[in-house]
Amino acid sequence: MEKRAMKFNLFHANVDEILAANEFSSADFESASKLDKESMVEQHKSVSYWKDAARRFKNNTVSMVALAVAILLTIFAFAGPYMIPYSYDEQYRGSMKLAPFEYSDSEKLAQKALTDADAVFSTALMQGSMTSLKKGDYAFAYHGTWYSFTMTKTLRSGFLMYKAGEADPLYTVKEDDFIAGGNYEKTAVSYTAIDGKPSDPGVTVIKLSESVFPHVFGTDSSGRDIMSRTMYGARVSLLVGVIASLIVLVIGSIYGAISGLLGGKVDFVMMRFVELIYSVPDVLIVLLLQVVLQTPLQNWFDSSTVPFVRALSSLGVGIVSIFITFALLYWVSMARIIRGQVLMLKKQEYVTAATVLGASNSRIIRKHLLPNSIGQLVVTTCLEIPSAIFLESFLSFLGLGISAPMSSLGSMCSDAIDTITVYPYRLLFPAIILSLLVLSLNLVGDGMRDALDPRLKK
Amino acid sequence: MTSYILKRIGSALITLLVVAATTFFLMNAVPGSPFVTEKSTPEMVARAEAKYGLDKPLAVQFYNYVKGYFVGDMGVSLKMQQDTSVAEIIFHQNKFVLSSRIGAYALLLAVVLGVPFGCIAAYNRGNWLDGVLRVVTTIGVAIPGFVVATSLLVLFGVQLQWLPVRSGSLETASAYILPVFALSFYPSCYIAKLTRASMLDAINQDYIRTARAKGLKTGKVIFKHALRNSLIPVITYLGPLTAYVITGGFVVETTFSIPGLGKYFISSILNRDYPIIMGTTIVLAALIIIMNLLVDIAYKLVDPRISLSKGDE
Repeated sequence: MEKRAMKFNLFHANVDEILAANEFSSADFESASKLDKESMVEQHKSVSYWKDAARRFKNNTVSMVALAVAILLTIFAFAGPYMIPYSYDEQYRGSMKLAPFEYSDSEKLAQKALTDADAVFSTALMQGSMTSLKKGDYAFAYHGTWYSFTMTKTLRSGFLMYKAGEADPLYTVKEDDFIAGGNYEKTAVSYTAIDGKPSDPGVTVIKLSESVFPHVFGTDSSGRDIMSRTMYGARVSLLVGVIASLIVLVIGSIYGAISGLLGGKVDFVMMRFVELIYSVPDVLIVLLLQVVLQTPLQNWFDSSTVPFVRALSSLGVGIVSIFITFALLYWVSMARIIRGQVLMLKKQEYVTAATVLGASNSRIIRKHLLPNSIGQLVVTTCLEIPSAIFLESFLSFLGLGISAPMSSLGSMCSDAIDTITVYPYRLLFPAIILSLLVLSLNLVGDGMRDALDPRLKK
Repeated sequence: MTSYILKRIGSALITLLVVAATTFFLMNAVPGSPFVTEKSTPEMVARAEAKYGLDKPLAVQFYNYVKGYFVGDMGVSLKMQQDTSVAEIIFHQNKFVLSSRIGAYALLLAVVLGVPFGCIAAYNRGNWLDGVLRVVTTIGVAIPGFVVATSLLVLFGVQLQWLPVRSGSLETASAYILPVFALSFYPSCYIAKLTRASMLDAINQDYIRTARAKGLKTGKVIFKHALRNSLIPVITYLGPLTAYVITGGFVVETTFSIPGLGKYFISSILNRDYPIIMGTTIVLAALIIIMNLLVDIAYKLVDPRISLSKGDE
């Protein structure tokens, strides 16, 4: 073998001999045109990291389907509440314990009234405690025009009906007349068209409905619309997931980067601390933390006037205490990953070069370490979202997370258990939405990992 | 090896102390006294606090707790079962027995289901069986435990009515089926995934090729060589698995109305019964920490390469 290799010497190769051996003649070659050269250049155009990752992600059917599901659920959670006329905390009178698509008696009457009118307002469907239209000034909008009218008599259990093109387009009808069937007595109400929404606080704005929207997922024992609650629950889950994982990202990457970059004794102490948090059985502490944080947070929210705190308080104590839990306990695995990355990258020549050139630590972190570990950061953060949703729903299920009136998919599931033998569908909807949410986000995260960090692919 | 074990035991004790201290100071961080109710007068609260030593400084109280635990005295319940000893409540009122039975069966079932299914998936890599198992395990590790538990409850308890909806004190064998299966679903899927991955890893190793080249039967190659080596990740998972079974037990006990320790723990937190919170946290944390300790030691014994590569870091 060695001898043959010695014989074949590149520098003494006879070109003619090789060409003859391959049976090529100079006629077989032609010089490339300008166009050919251009296409060669195009073919080898460098692909950026993100483009390359996006291409890999698009080729992954499972992740793409999961992404579509996740986007649909996000739309369901954030745009859905604007599309249905029910709110998550309102207890609709007479609409308790409805099955999916079932109408309450009042809603059936309203539907019946709509066969004779273009739009109706039913006092029986009023939210909260208001069951009648008292004497006073009212306004409503119909097809973009505002109208105002004055009630001279209290209307109890009745309808305000509107039918365009009649002599008295707006009239009231007693509910009893409707139940009895046949002809009903109309009492005309005169109204006037006005410019825009009335700003006078004495005027009550009411909403006439042109159709009765079904309770698609049914209602719960206190007459709250389950679909609306599911939407808000999904919204809470997504918010908790995204914000908690961002908190983990910020704390974990700062801690990990500092520990890895400084090294030595600082690293040793910082990592012992991480190990300690790591070895503590987290859930036991988390359960306690939820109760402990309740009162101080509420006091803080009630007393503070800082805009940021006001914004936090609108989220509710339950959600904020979950954020604090993540900030206290769940950043450790992120810190470990980032530290590992930093230790690996620290040995690279360009970091040494930067150090030699006198770059500060913060500059090295910002300009060299973070951009190079961005893939890992994105993947770990994405996979943190479903696990945050997981923890939130677990806590709410046990009654320690988000509490009424705010809705959470976990607490909806635990509420459903009390009546599971009678109304099993109450469990079905929040459970399906939650499972789809967590599953799709997990699969998207897996797909991102495969796309952004092909080395990690199994 | 002995020094490693001693070191590991030392750090386990420190962890337990940290858990105890964190729990103690967290529960005392809630403002107000646990004895304040709508009807209580300040004198009544003060008398009750003095009786249970809650009027002493926190450091003294904590010291008394730790001292008590060393001689096996876990204190007495403040409110939930007033003046009953915590040890009595945890260990002699069937609570610990119920929870640990479900937990132990679930742990066992998870291994018994997970390992064979993982092997089957690895052995059938790429065909439909592997595909089905992959879908099931992916769903199983992603969806929350209470969704699994409640879905099983609706399906088998409410719709089909094969199994009881409320398991109660687990007096019949059928009462066990749903809670144990619900609790073991996530870990069996996880173990199946782990086993599949490490089996595939092992199958490509040189010693498997050697075993095959020697003419060993497929069954022997799989069970004697591949499986043994691929069980190491499963052993390491037993620590987190114990933690999962304990916390998952809270959900399962709530779902199936089992009066176990987990359910009691949650209500002790809501009732602020300090000695019960401390007692339960420490018992459960100790279980998890001891399991982690055993797993770490077993891990070193099973795979001598680990002690060689890590050395005395």
